[in-house]
Amino acid sequence: MHANLFSTWYNSALTIVAAGVIGLALWFGLGWVFTGADWRVIPTLGGQLIIGQYNIESACPGQNCFWRPQVSLLLVTALLGLAWGMAGGGVARNFAVGVTAILAAFAFLPYSFESMGLDVRLLLLANVPAVVIGWAIARYTSLGTGQWIAILGVVTFLVTLVLLRGLPGVPGLQPVSVIYWGGLMLNLILAVGGITLSLPIGVALALGRRSRLPIVKILCIAFIEIFRGVPLITLLFMSQVLVPLAFPENFPQNSLFRAAVVITLFSAAYMAENIRGGLQALHPGQAEAARALGLPGWQTMMLISLPQAVRNVIPAIVGQFISLFKDTSLVYIIGMLDVVEISRAFIQGNAEYLASAKELFIFLALVFWIFTYSMSYISRRAEESLGVGRR
Amino acid sequence: MAEDIMESGPADVSDNIIVCNDVHKWFGNFHVLKGVTTSVTRGEKVVILGPSGSGKSTFIRTINRLEEHQRGQIIVDGTELSNDVRNVDAIRRDVGMVFQSFNLFPHLTVRRNITLAPTRVRKWPQSDADAVADSLLERVGIPEQAEKYPGELSGGQQQRVAIARALAMQPKVMLFDEPTSALDPEMIQEVLDVMRELAHSGMTMLIVTHEIGFAREVADRVIMFDGGVIVEQAPPEEFFGSPQQERTKTFLSQILG
Repeated sequence: MHANLFSTWYNSALTIVAAGVIGLALWFGLGWVFTGADWRVIPTLGGQLIIGQYNIESACPGQNCFWRPQVSLLLVTALLGLAWGMAGGGVARNFAVGVTAILAAFAFLPYSFESMGLDVRLLLLANVPAVVIGWAIARYTSLGTGQWIAILGVVTFLVTLVLLRGLPGVPGLQPVSVIYWGGLMLNLILAVGGITLSLPIGVALALGRRSRLPIVKILCIAFIEIFRGVPLITLLFMSQVLVPLAFPENFPQNSLFRAAVVITLFSAAYMAENIRGGLQALHPGQAEAARALGLPGWQTMMLISLPQAVRNVIPAIVGQFISLFKDTSLVYIIGMLDVVEISRAFIQGNAEYLASAKELFIFLALVFWIFTYSMSYISRRAEESLGVGRR
Repeated sequence: MAEDIMESGPADVSDNIIVCNDVHKWFGNFHVLKGVTTSVTRGEKVVILGPSGSGKSTFIRTINRLEEHQRGQIIVDGTELSNDVRNVDAIRRDVGMVFQSFNLFPHLTVRRNITLAPTRVRKWPQSDADAVADSLLERVGIPEQAEKYPGELSGGQQQRVAIARALAMQPKVMLFDEPTSALDPEMIQEVLDVMRELAHSGMTMLIVTHEIGFAREVADRVIMFDGGVIVEQAPPEEFFGSPQQERTKTFLSQILG
């Protein structure tokens, strides 16, 4: 410490000045957070931040639909438990336990029972048994493998969509139009869908761009350059007009579907270039050694080149994921009320909270940061366990 | 199955396993191979010498078509190398190759490096392939390294794994492209020991190397490459004892100092 901070007189001066600035910033910052700021706007918005207008009367007439996102959440926690059970500890355990603890803590929010019913609280507490069940399934059945978790993850995502969207004619599951979906739920649905699909599409585009067949190559280059070359916000606008043209007239689609398609393809175009970069950085001897052993070209790609390329560009891929997650806020442009837009609309519509805009948006920034930092944390741990940079 | 590969098949010495007829190769405008004609009999050990840029590495890389030749004919074990992918893959299965820079797969364990091709290409069950891998690691002297990753091994150990990986496919011919050139001096011997043992087991080997002592000891024939053609070829006593060509004499005096 002495050597680092006080080695010479000017280093000492710098250290003292810096400490003073940091101390003052902390003093006023924390002072504002604990005494100056008025955080009441956040509990006032409450559930709207999480699910948007999903539970308002016109979305879900004559019923309480709040249980549907909550049950979806239980499935997700069970999945986290499954991952924890498979990994046995480490990041997976930290995440499963952390998320469950936060959700269970929400059950004790000091709302009145009129605004936050017992059913809502119990379903939040149910996340605890859900995570334990997931953990136990991984531990005591054969479902605790990476492959099964991937399959169950996709199934969970689809079940969530059906549960939220509803099924006509099924009692208790009346359809809820996607125009009412919103809040963090909307951001997460778009992000999870986009992340899961943009990686494989990106890989396919990267391989296509390296193809020896000129038509495949040209199509892939054109796709990548067009989607990278146009702002996402423009694409989202255009999607409302153009995506319908790409599907049969009676194909069931809606604004959420169109937004998801555009966000996924936009991200896939960037992903393709990341992966192509990873492939180009590989020593040609790797593919040569595989071919010399008699492995056919596609096996060489799938078993030797791609795994190494993807591993080497994990930071860029995760950067793209983070970027995609933040970009989901842009769906406000097509009238969807994501967590940012619903906050903005609330402030605009309730003049008495105008002064609380800063508290609300600082809170939103923190929420986004927690999610993106989690991604970055997971990726760092993944890199460590894959031995990136060491072998 | 593990036992089979310990004994490479007995040599039918009259039979040519590799036949090269007027092989030409261009890199763009650069004429690398200018008509190479030679053949290798089963069980023969051929050492290829020559200055850098002489085309010797390119030549052995044409034998498993890591480089395409543009004129002439290469026949490996009765199959001619052509643009037919099935021929090429069939030949590659039977021709093992060891590279100067090892080219082990860094994301796979040593055992998986060895079993990958046998399970995927030869369709052996994983357990059989594992047994073969373990006996090959025993043979190259590093049975305790099976679960490690290539990056955790020394250069000499990595090259021995690379030899085991090639042998796991039970090749009929082994090609060595300067297998010791990237190694620290103290590790060269351990790799040469493995190659020497392999030579004694009767394997057909083509070796590009600068290890003259090894060539003298193991080779049945030494080939001198220069300017994309074979300048001279002879049994080692003759080649090193009384070289005929001026180019060979200069080269030998340069590398022997």
